[in-house]
Amino acid sequence: MDRRGLSDQGRRPAVSLLRRPLLHALLGIALGAVFLYAAYDKILHPADFARIVYHYQLIGPSQHVGPWAPNLLAVTLPWIEVAVGAALMSGLWRREAATLASLLLLVFVAAVSAALVRGIDIENCGCFSVTGEGRAAGFKLILADLSMLGGALILALVTPRPASKAEATRSSEAIA
Amino acid sequence: MRLRLLRMAALLALGAALGLLWNAASGRGIALSKNVFIKSEDEVIEAKDAKARLEKGALFLDARPIDFYKMEHIPGALPLPEGDFEPAFAKLEAKLRSSFDIVVYCSGWGCEASHIVAAKLRERGIHAAILHEGWPAWTGAGYPTKAGDLP
Repeated sequence: MDRRGLSDQGRRPAVSLLRRPLLHALLGIALGAVFLYAAYDKILHPADFARIVYHYQLIGPSQHVGPWAPNLLAVTLPWIEVAVGAALMSGLWRREAATLASLLLLVFVAAVSAALVRGIDIENCGCFSVTGEGRAAGFKLILADLSMLGGALILALVTPRPASKAEATRSSEAIA
Repeated sequence: MRLRLLRMAALLALGAALGLLWNAASGRGIALSKNVFIKSEDEVIEAKDAKARLEKGALFLDARPIDFYKMEHIPGALPLPEGDFEPAFAKLEAKLRSSFDIVVYCSGWGCEASHIVAAKLRERGIHAAILHEGWPAWTGAGYPTKAGDLP
């Protein structure tokens, strides 16, 4: 979907709005900040985050996998959130970071949905705070994740217009 | 602008590497091969050992929600639900303080209730062993269970 060189003439205004570089920068900063903030408490309290990963009963520990898989996830996921969040905020590799962010959010939605469907009561979803009460895994959380997923998908799928008009003219001329 | 899979892999690898490094070097890390529910003070026993203790008269505590207890429990076990600890403990305190062999269990993998109950009892000066893998370990071994709200 390389439409960088095409002009916006004849496009719907909504699409034109979604291609604004400013929107991409703001979305990246907001989404990146959420990811960085989400990583913070998990990095400080890895054992508490690991407990929460166990509570989901999705990747163990179980009779067959032991504690390795959930422990590795608990140790690495927060720092993957850091890498993704930092890339989103800085704008470096933003599209790739946004694609990863979308995939992560889909996994979170799937994990929470699986807990709801199986009747597993997760008092602390492990989203932001991993010690103390935290927020419960429920429908509201799924909605919040889905709205963030919307933002991430814009960054992942919509190509921003080149920053300056001169550049835009140049690239459209190059194509013509 | 192409989506570069290599960049995505690099971001994932960077995150994973930082995570492992932090876990090894920060002093806050966890032992990757160990279940984080299990604390150093916990005594964790297997189903076979628990069965032997039950036959010798050990007091069993069911840390699951009371409805699970009513559905089915280990014969002779008393309910001490983690979510409703205080009132249940008040009822059982005298009995617990006069028992020297206590085993607590819950729903098994992913269930922390038995560990939390054991820790709360420890705070009150009572030692309880934890049945490893809890209910599924017990039923998986084919040991007896009992339905209803009586022990």
